[in-house]
Amino acid sequence: MKYIIIIGCSRTGRVLARELADNHNVAVVDKNLKNLDALKEDFNGKKIWADALDVNTLEDAGIKEADAVFLLTGNDNLNVVVGKASRRKYGVKKVVLQVNDPVKKEIFKEEGLTIINKTDILSEVLKKCIL
Amino acid sequence: MYIVIAGAGRLGLILAKGLQEKKHQVCLIDKDKRLCNLLAREFDKIMVVCGDATFPDVLRDAQIEKANVTVAATSTDEDNIIFSYFAKELFGVKRTVSRVNNPKHTPLYKYMNVDNPVDSTSIIAGVIEEEASFSDVMTLLSIKKGRLSIVRVDIPENSPIANKSLKEIKLPSNSVLISVLRGPEIIIPSGSTTILAGDEVIATTLINTEEDLTKALIGKV
Repeated sequence: MKYIIIIGCSRTGRVLARELADNHNVAVVDKNLKNLDALKEDFNGKKIWADALDVNTLEDAGIKEADAVFLLTGNDNLNVVVGKASRRKYGVKKVVLQVNDPVKKEIFKEEGLTIINKTDILSEVLKKCIL
Repeated sequence: MYIVIAGAGRLGLILAKGLQEKKHQVCLIDKDKRLCNLLAREFDKIMVVCGDATFPDVLRDAQIEKANVTVAATSTDEDNIIFSYFAKELFGVKRTVSRVNNPKHTPLYKYMNVDNPVDSTSIIAGVIEEEASFSDVMTLLSIKKGRLSIVRVDIPENSPIANKSLKEIKLPSNSVLISVLRGPEIIIPSGSTTILAGDEVIATTLINTEEDLTKALIGKV
């Protein structure tokens, strides 16, 4: 059982949170209450309504104990800034962040950071469909 | 100097105008196309680049590699951080200054190595607190991480130095009175200057003599 923090609880974050919560301890952070409300009572994890750029939010979410952090807000820059801090400042072992801009994706490559991009993933899957 | 400013909001614009008047070369970057067009027409001496300042291509257009200083003045902290990070790490800019919009975000600026995060909210709060303060002693400025400070002291009626000339006043060592504010008047004191009740005295002192100075000027701590 791992402790996982998911920052950004729109569609992707929500699906991920629900699935991971079956077997792990999950905390989700979002500054938009609607996104958190969309995770219904049956969600077996912690919901935190706060600003992820505030280190108090990260610490309240238990980042010091986290095994993994996902950054799935739609904001590339926020994902990068908080992702880097999770790695450098809090030493989280696995940090996965979504960066949609391909140029930024290359620049911010760093050990311990897994940078994903929806378009890349989708095109991989699409290719596999016909090959 | 060549200065690149990200964000042509109120702060960015005031800065750009001020720096340009001091004969610096200034480049403003902003996302808003209409605003950029307007600015380009109004200020022929300021270079305007339209685009998102967190993209390296846009920074290249602004010739950021030639900048002596960059200023991040957008209203979004994550954008300010990324802009400053690129300026420094990708383009080798020596000095990056950034506005911090929300003081709670300051630690993240530090983790990303922004040289000078300027937390405007805390600065304004300090100024307002100073203006509204009823305390007799107020630190105006601290230098060298607070070891040296410049303080303002309101001289009360019962002050031990009221109606005495500077010659007669014995100040603790490591403290100097640098000016006396009396109504609209600013007095740079000499030995014969007399201190009156109601004066505001500006003094500089080391941290460990601040208490002694306060005692000497107002009689209590």
